[in-house]
Amino acid sequence: MIRVTHLMIIRTLSPPFPTVCESIMISAIEQIGRVTLRTSSSVGSTLSFAARVFLRMFERRSYNSASRMVLINQIYFTSVQILPLFLFVAVIFGAMVNGMVFQLIKKIGQTDYLGRLLMGFVVMEISPFVTVLLIALRSSSAINAEIAVMKVNRELSTLEIFNIDLIDYLFVPRVLNGILSMVFLSSLFSLVVLSIGLFVSSVIFGTSVDAYIDTLLRSASLLDMIIVWFKCAAFGFFITLIPIILGMNASQELTSIPVAVLNGMVKVFSAIIIIEVLSSIVRFI
Amino acid sequence: MRFFESEEELQEKLRDFITAHKSRLGLVSLEAPLISNLPVWSNIALIRQYHQNMSWHEAKITIDRLLHRMGMDSIAEKRNPSLTKEERFYAMLLRAAMVRDAVVVLDKPFSILTNLRDGHFLMHILHKVDDLIAEAHIFDYSWAKERYGVTADAED
Repeated sequence: MIRVTHLMIIRTLSPPFPTVCESIMISAIEQIGRVTLRTSSSVGSTLSFAARVFLRMFERRSYNSASRMVLINQIYFTSVQILPLFLFVAVIFGAMVNGMVFQLIKKIGQTDYLGRLLMGFVVMEISPFVTVLLIALRSSSAINAEIAVMKVNRELSTLEIFNIDLIDYLFVPRVLNGILSMVFLSSLFSLVVLSIGLFVSSVIFGTSVDAYIDTLLRSASLLDMIIVWFKCAAFGFFITLIPIILGMNASQELTSIPVAVLNGMVKVFSAIIIIEVLSSIVRFI
Repeated sequence: MRFFESEEELQEKLRDFITAHKSRLGLVSLEAPLISNLPVWSNIALIRQYHQNMSWHEAKITIDRLLHRMGMDSIAEKRNPSLTKEERFYAMLLRAAMVRDAVVVLDKPFSILTNLRDGHFLMHILHKVDDLIAEAHIFDYSWAKERYGVTADAED
């Protein structure tokens, strides 16, 4: 039916085509249609599942003893185990970024912009981005593989047999952990980078601690902080939810596990880019 | 005990039984494996922690006591892949028994305990958890009757 409609439209709008050219164009249009339908259906189902999990996060029954235990374990795996690597990356990154920023400020002689540059660039952009990349690389892939393995091993159906709700027991703790860990680790990253900034600024400009903090506080706005917290929460929500959905999509075959993880990670990175762009649009509007 | 001639018939009756007893069902089956990223005690405790909101501490004490009663203290911290067939069966049975007023269903138990010659071990183990469960049902093939010591053609 769609094929006929496309053909009719092309025939009505354009002069007669050679048959081969016509069929290539029709199949191209069909392909675009198929991709659009598939993408919109996938986005639609992801958002509808996201809404279900989000609403369940506010229900008291989601926080029984078993779910709380999962939440504690997840926080340990995501936020505590990663700390040595995370702090190392934060220190290296902090030294590099601060070195560049302070050299630039010194060169152009615009010390008034120091606070704005650090708050706008480091706290608002760099910290959430580096944090989400580290968590996605480590925890999202682990969650994706874990859920896919549970699906293949029929462990998810075991939970259902014992009347254990998958959203309450498996998904809410993981998603909540994603949100909490993102906000906590991003704040920690900012703190480390800004502390290194204090050290560099006292060495290059001889700035005192009070003056440095005062400069930062004057450059910080409440709206910006709310946006960055929302951004971190959105990152945390989607980089845990998407791997869960893709893990659930695994079939009963072992070979579906790497496929599920691969697809999941691609979608996680797409989500990171989309959230980053949306938050920038909101911020600059 | 319920015996069936074919896999299809067994699966159909089992499905009907599961649907009818959904809220009190404690299934012991290869189709309901232990959760592989949890130790045995957590697998068993999960049912009470989730449905009765039993605290972690209380659940640990309860399960340790149960495992001790079964002579299985050593498996508390083990995970599914490192269990022997008997240990796995104990863990699955105890998990099933944790359901309130449990209707325990043993689905082809000899497919889990492949090394067993007859049903004496099964009866012995079921007696040990007698006080924890309300009903126990065994679903198996009719040709396995002898292994249970059943000679009559009738079910049960």
